[in-house]
Amino acid sequence: MVIRVKNLVKRYGNLVALDHLSLDVKEGEIFGLLGPNGSGKTTAINCILSLLKFDKGDIEVFNKPMTPESYDTKRDIGIVMQNVAVYKELTVYENIDYFCGLYVPDKVKRKQLVDEAIQFVGLEDYVKFQPKKLSGGLLRRLNIACGIAHKPKLIILDEPTVAVDPQSRNKILEGILELNRQGATIVYTSHYMEEVEQICSRILIIDKGKAIASGTKEELKNMITIGEKITLQTYGLTPEQISAAGNLPNVLSAEYNGSNLVIKSTKGKNNLESVLDFAKQEGIQFGTIYSELPTLNDVFLEITGKELRD
Amino acid sequence: MQVFKLCLKIIKDNIPTLMIYVVVFLGVSILATSSMSNESKEMASFTPTKTDIAFISDETGPLVDGLKEELSKVANFVEIERDTEALQDALYFRRVTYALYIPNGFTERFMGGEDVKIQKTTIPESYSSAYVDISVEKYFDLARLYLTNVENIAEEELVSKVLKDLSVTTNVELYDTRANKADTSYANFYFNYLSYSMLGVLVMGMSALMVVFSDKDIKRRNACSPISTSRINMQFILANLTFAMVTWFIMVGFCIMFNFKNSLTPATLYFVLNSFIFMICGTSLSYLIGTAVTNQEALSAVCNVVTLGPSFISGVFVPQELISQSVLRIASFTPSYWYVKANNEIAGLTSFGFEQLESVFSSILIQLGFAVAMFAVALVVAKRKRYA
Repeated sequence: MVIRVKNLVKRYGNLVALDHLSLDVKEGEIFGLLGPNGSGKTTAINCILSLLKFDKGDIEVFNKPMTPESYDTKRDIGIVMQNVAVYKELTVYENIDYFCGLYVPDKVKRKQLVDEAIQFVGLEDYVKFQPKKLSGGLLRRLNIACGIAHKPKLIILDEPTVAVDPQSRNKILEGILELNRQGATIVYTSHYMEEVEQICSRILIIDKGKAIASGTKEELKNMITIGEKITLQTYGLTPEQISAAGNLPNVLSAEYNGSNLVIKSTKGKNNLESVLDFAKQEGIQFGTIYSELPTLNDVFLEITGKELRD
Repeated sequence: MQVFKLCLKIIKDNIPTLMIYVVVFLGVSILATSSMSNESKEMASFTPTKTDIAFISDETGPLVDGLKEELSKVANFVEIERDTEALQDALYFRRVTYALYIPNGFTERFMGGEDVKIQKTTIPESYSSAYVDISVEKYFDLARLYLTNVENIAEEELVSKVLKDLSVTTNVELYDTRANKADTSYANFYFNYLSYSMLGVLVMGMSALMVVFSDKDIKRRNACSPISTSRINMQFILANLTFAMVTWFIMVGFCIMFNFKNSLTPATLYFVLNSFIFMICGTSLSYLIGTAVTNQEALSAVCNVVTLGPSFISGVFVPQELISQSVLRIASFTPSYWYVKANNEIAGLTSFGFEQLESVFSSILIQLGFAVAMFAVALVVAKRKRYA
């Protein structure tokens, strides 16, 4: 096991930030820690890294208890903080070299690693730039390069795509998958469910410091009753028509917001067909119709009764 | 040594700012060198200067001509109209500083043994007037001496004897009590002024480092690395000390370079020792400021206050003798005051026994006390911030 956390409790005065949180991260996986802002993701990471003292629980990294003095363990960990932590006085190259140098004393080896990291995050054209001259996306990439340059076995990325443009976000996500392919175990925290869904092999959803569900994305989606979500873009539906849609076979709910009729159903082969038949029968004219599988947001919504981004 | 190298790099980036202090300091020091060397040349030699006077006489004759001849050694004669108003104007506008008037019948009455006075008008409290007075008095006193003691002496003979006597000069060798003592005035000025510049450089340089390393995210990121906090701190402290030592060494080195001929003295040794202790004090102060101030803009303002303020009231720019006692009492709560006081005492010493140096050592110990106190406060502030 790469990380094992058992019954972790962290309090800030009366506020319980982590409430008996347990998690296991296996070697070679991309483990997603998903939860809304303030759910305790960063606190959990800080406790795992021994940056924060906790009140109760056990943390093991690479099967050894993690303490602030676990320098051998830290040597194999790469960390990409939520806030960009680079020196504004140094250039892109110097920053990566500095952080890599904290792990790799050998100059020749370090130069090679730094060059690889620069290439990996696509900052070749910016090596002599100071951080203040980089865009938000490039800065995030620099932050990642500083965290991964020493080729760690475990990489912890704490919301690395916050305030990043789509192009940089895709580059970052592709990079994480590549790091995983190269053998690194990844812990990825985010409140963006699409990202977690896209890259993580196993996910833990937390809310108010508690683990509320864990498993692969398929396992998580199987936990809830919704199997399919069909959206019909149409105008001028009557209350009777909405009510009739709700009574269709397998349908759990039908909600209309004036332009979209969203029908949530249990799993079934003919759900879309029955909705199309219903529209034809009722003479409902529609622009588009599409079917979606449930998202992690639906999972979160069903378990907690609130949206992931509430 | 990543942290150490990073610190040096940050200091290197700040060199242009730090150079402002060094360049101003060196500029003032070079100016002081030239002005003090001129001053010391002037003090070492005496060159008589002539004063401008108006010599107005209603009569001529050997006695008056002799006086004029004697006065020509110490005065330039300026032609002025024989008019009271013109004379007053000449004195007012400093065309002359002394106007001498010899009335008609003066020679006759003088030769007759009467106690006659010549008339004069001078600028009040003028030292050059006193100089002319001495010459006039010398001339007539000697003439009166001959007149009294040599019967029936002719006017020509009297004047000839007086002028001959007055032309005799005596060589005087002045024994300077400072002869065996090197001139410490430049070193005193330089080392006093050093406190302002060195403090400025130390505060700006070290606080810039502290501001960078006190960034919360950077601290956390470094804490994730396999290098222990104590090792990071050690490298950081080493970088700060290296910077402080190099700054001190360069600045003291310049003094010795500018004033080499007067530098090989015990006084220089004590100046250097005092400045070293002050450097430790400045390092502590910089550490305290760097711990308390976390933003670069505020840092410049604080730097100006802590370097200029104490320098003004402690006698760095203005000698302590010219500063009021109440201001000096306030200044005594700053290390700069004790540093300058020790420097001034070292400059005044002619021998360097323990008794003479006791007061200097007291001032140095007080500076060390300030250094320890400021470092302790910085540690408390740092601890409070860590757990805030």
